Amino acid sequence: MSYKLTRIDPDAPQSSQYPVGERRIVDDPMDDQVHRNVFMGKLENIMHNVVNWGRKNSLWPYNFGLSCCYVEMTTAFTAPHDIARFGSEVLRASPRQADVMVISGTCFIKMAPIIQELYDQMLEPKWVISMGSCANSGGMYDIYSVVQGVDKFLPIDVYIPGCPPRPEAFLQGLQLLQDSIQQERRPLTWVVGDQGVYKAEMPSQREKRRDERIAVTELRSPDEV
Amino acid sequence: MTTEISQADATTFAIVDELKARFGEANLVVQPTLTGMPVVWVAREQLIEVMRFVQQVNKPFVMLYDLHGVDERLRMHRRGLPPADFTVFYQLMSLERNSELMIKVALHEDDLRVPTLCHVYLNANWYEREVFDMFGIEFTGHPHLTRMLMPPTWNGHPLRKDYPARATEFDPYTLTMEGQDREQEALRFDPEAWGMKRHSGDTDYMFLNLGPNHPSVHGVFRIALQLDGEEVVDCVPDIGYHHRGAEKMAERQSWHSYIPYTDRIDYTGGVMNNLPYILAVEKLAGITVTPRAETIRVMMAEMFRINSHLLFLGTFLQDLGAMSPVFYTFSDRQRAYHVIEAITGFRMHPAWFRIGGVAHDLPRGWDRLVREFLDWMPPRLDEYERAMMDNSIVRERTVGIATHTTAEALTWGVTGPNLRATGLKYDLRKARPYSGYERFDFDIPVGTNGDVFDRGMLRIEEMRQSLRIIEQCLKNMPEGDYKADHPLTTPPPRDKMLQHIETLITHFLQVSWGPVLKANESFQMIEATKGLNSYYLTSDGNTMSYRTRIRTPSFAHLQHIPAVINGGFVPDLIAHLGSIDFVMADVDR
Repeated sequence: MSYKLTRIDPDAPQSSQYPVGERRIVDDPMDDQVHRNVFMGKLENIMHNVVNWGRKNSLWPYNFGLSCCYVEMTTAFTAPHDIARFGSEVLRASPRQADVMVISGTCFIKMAPIIQELYDQMLEPKWVISMGSCANSGGMYDIYSVVQGVDKFLPIDVYIPGCPPRPEAFLQGLQLLQDSIQQERRPLTWVVGDQGVYKAEMPSQREKRRDERIAVTELRSPDEV
Repeated sequence: MTTEISQADATTFAIVDELKARFGEANLVVQPTLTGMPVVWVAREQLIEVMRFVQQVNKPFVMLYDLHGVDERLRMHRRGLPPADFTVFYQLMSLERNSELMIKVALHEDDLRVPTLCHVYLNANWYEREVFDMFGIEFTGHPHLTRMLMPPTWNGHPLRKDYPARATEFDPYTLTMEGQDREQEALRFDPEAWGMKRHSGDTDYMFLNLGPNHPSVHGVFRIALQLDGEEVVDCVPDIGYHHRGAEKMAERQSWHSYIPYTDRIDYTGGVMNNLPYILAVEKLAGITVTPRAETIRVMMAEMFRINSHLLFLGTFLQDLGAMSPVFYTFSDRQRAYHVIEAITGFRMHPAWFRIGGVAHDLPRGWDRLVREFLDWMPPRLDEYERAMMDNSIVRERTVGIATHTTAEALTWGVTGPNLRATGLKYDLRKARPYSGYERFDFDIPVGTNGDVFDRGMLRIEEMRQSLRIIEQCLKNMPEGDYKADHPLTTPPPRDKMLQHIETLITHFLQVSWGPVLKANESFQMIEATKGLNSYYLTSDGNTMSYRTRIRTPSFAHLQHIPAVINGGFVPDLIAHLGSIDFVMADVDR
């Protein structure tokens, strides 16, 4: 599996564009010769697995919403969908306590610097879910006041399609984020390793499910409830 | 352009004669439209005088309902109208006359100035700022004429016809570190610019920036507070963080393909938003819809009213600190969505109404689902009333908090449940029924004190009334077509399309170009979930609207905040924000 390496640059010049820092596609760092060592390699693997398991099952979302999608996101938090099943019910009103920011709604040019500020205030490890067409690409709002996709300045981990996506789709997106977190290679301490964040390049769900999707030949009639 | 003036319209148009008597026939141009209200052009020099006159005339126009502009420069069909490059229109509402009046002022490109109306109608303030922002029209004498919806660093005026609509016509958006600092600095609140003092006597005021992201501002709303301890001395709401350019969007979508954009105006209102737009388009097209289509529309609109009020109730109580109500109301919402989804195929934004009817007939078995919902809700509402509104903590937090009178509400353009909470029995569904509401039996709940508690309680009662309406829809659903048999019904009924070449061609043209509507202006106002919502459409005989003005209730409600909350406490502000039930898309559009 290939990984996306992100390395933070604390001395980035003021003129640099968001997202700031180095980003490139690399191979799994655990496949390097140095990690093939039977003892250290296995131990490191176990450590990564344990830490990632803990992280993915206690994702604290930031209570942050922009527009319509936020209503469906909130619906996922309430009783009928119950996000607590996935360990993500601890909504935080402060970015400093949150792990995952869900861009649920349209990203406006007036709002973009504020979103960036809030993202910067979140502490590592942190993830971003882009929820809904507007956040993904601007969606149906190709209009002067809307940023055509929040990934113009934020690094996105999971994109959830829909306008708005159903709460179930949000929950699936959350689970996909969990799967991706399980594969991550983050520095285990601040003294060991190269201090880069390695996020797995996860397969596209659209391609993965294509066969299943085109195998459907009969759609439910809208004449029946 | 002709309109038929019926007996009922005679009283509506009486004001024209009163204006002529006062200002002379030569000074006024009366424009015939399909708006159902008199549209009168006056000279800029006479504007303030005219406004003072209609404000003080017998049966006065108490409310400035709307104020906006039109860029007339590309308009082809303007015969008989005063020459203008830009127009500013003022829409006034009279409760005693039960009608509106539109005053228009023509402006020329090299002299885009109008005297401000802030001293006559207080709520002109924000509207004028928006017109300045969108068209670059200057309102002389305005106390604080700055940008409203666009960032302070913005260039250009988006609603002008020569301003590009698409983001993809500009360079792709980028954000640099210094750019972010610059934008953030531009948004910094400057108390002096608003005439606020930093100190008074031995008090140092604290300036608190609440929002644009805060759990109790329901989206992206910002309000800057001047605080003396916990007391709010003054406050300045700041909007525009949710401006999706819906009005500009209408100028490039066909009449038909604009429907989905209306859903997203008041995004908790679903198809309720389609209704004023569709009704206004049908006026332009001259379509009369079937009773079945009308009843289906009413039923779905009321389903969404319940859904929106349930969302309100949960979040309102959560803002007061009650954690559990949102879990109850959202499980009811899930049941409502079960019905809505079975009928329309989608949850939040079905875009299900069509020009001339609805998208689809009711599916077999719809009545069972609606019946289940009608049986489920009443005991739940009783429980909410008992468990939540009778709760002593909720009462402590809400009774007598953020009160305003009917007169204040009308001055600030407050409508809907927030107006009725002050005791005024004004519901457009009764006052001027549309879409067949005259056939339904229901009551208008009113409050007494106009406080936070009344606004909450009233919406529970409104849900009961909506259930009554849905029950009547269920029992008396008319038979017949769900689409009108009219050449402009979009898309045309399919069975006809398959038999005649004419309708097949119509269908092809409507799908490829969109329907063409005759040049005229039309208007429809409805009692939406949050107050009076209206679409004022100007057709220039094209496949697209020339100008679409969307008047939303929440805009007026947010402008009203300082008048209510100054002198109150911060927790009262939070309670008030919860109780006025706004969504930012309904403010900034």
